[in-house]
Amino acid sequence: MDRTSVKIVVAGGFGTGKTTLVASVSEIPPLTTEEILTEASIGVDDITGVEGKTTTTVALDFGRITISPDVVLYLFGTPGQDRFWFMWDELAQGAVGAIVLVDTRRLDSSFPAVDYFERRGIPFVTAVNRFFGECAYTEEEIRGALELDPRVPLVWCDARDRPSSKLALVTLVRHAMSRITAKAPA
Amino acid sequence: MTFDTWDGDDESAAGRFVPLYVLVNGRTAPRDSTLDLATQVVALAVDTRRLEPEYVEIVNRCANWMSVAEIGAYLHLPLAITKVMVDVLVEQGYLGVGSPAQQKIIDLHLLDSVLAGLERL
Repeated sequence: MDRTSVKIVVAGGFGTGKTTLVASVSEIPPLTTEEILTEASIGVDDITGVEGKTTTTVALDFGRITISPDVVLYLFGTPGQDRFWFMWDELAQGAVGAIVLVDTRRLDSSFPAVDYFERRGIPFVTAVNRFFGECAYTEEEIRGALELDPRVPLVWCDARDRPSSKLALVTLVRHAMSRITAKAPA
Repeated sequence: MTFDTWDGDDESAAGRFVPLYVLVNGRTAPRDSTLDLATQVVALAVDTRRLEPEYVEIVNRCANWMSVAEIGAYLHLPLAITKVMVDVLVEQGYLGVGSPAQQKIIDLHLLDSVLAGLERL
């Protein structure tokens, strides 16, 4: 019996268009699954301001694309709040890589995601979401602000537009493949 | 003073009478640690009459291959619980399990087919 799942993570700050991107390419309307955090996670998470709470629900949105009769690609949007890092670990483990969505009005909201994938050596591409209007910055300015490694691809996208989201996904898979080829012994 | 009396309804306000931790026997993690939220499972042709209804629901959902995350979403179960319940069903032979997610994707052939699949979108 062989049925393979492949994962791609869609990350970025709150409101950068993660679920919109997933919806534009998924063959099913995005689904939401929930994880319940209990007191056991206190001390790991920053719970400042919610000390009275003993459980919290983290929602994960995801979609699927059937690649072939035995391979299905799952696209997982990361939970927006940065105190849910442990969920990122589960999402990122074994993933092809990540698309980090960038909203140029709030570049800083994408810093944590860039930092996370960089530190763990997980392939990622940055996708600047143009949905929010004309971008006032050049590619160089955005790269500079995010301190992107020159090898990290940057694509312009509109997360509502299927061909545009598809381009971001294709760019990521090619990038992941080139990293493997580069590492392979001659 | 009034006392709570059984009104004949076994469903709590949350729609569930049996607490989830009872259903999974207090287990908090799947025994098969490779089972992740994207792992797909499928129902095997086994009689499910001896299973608890909550488990039967999962088996019924898996007539076609389905991921742990999808089962959780469709049945409104938290992920950790879904994972443990699916693990129990796999262990007891009710569900077949697909390839676990790799620690690190290093299979160029697999990435090639993903790329081809995406380009067909």
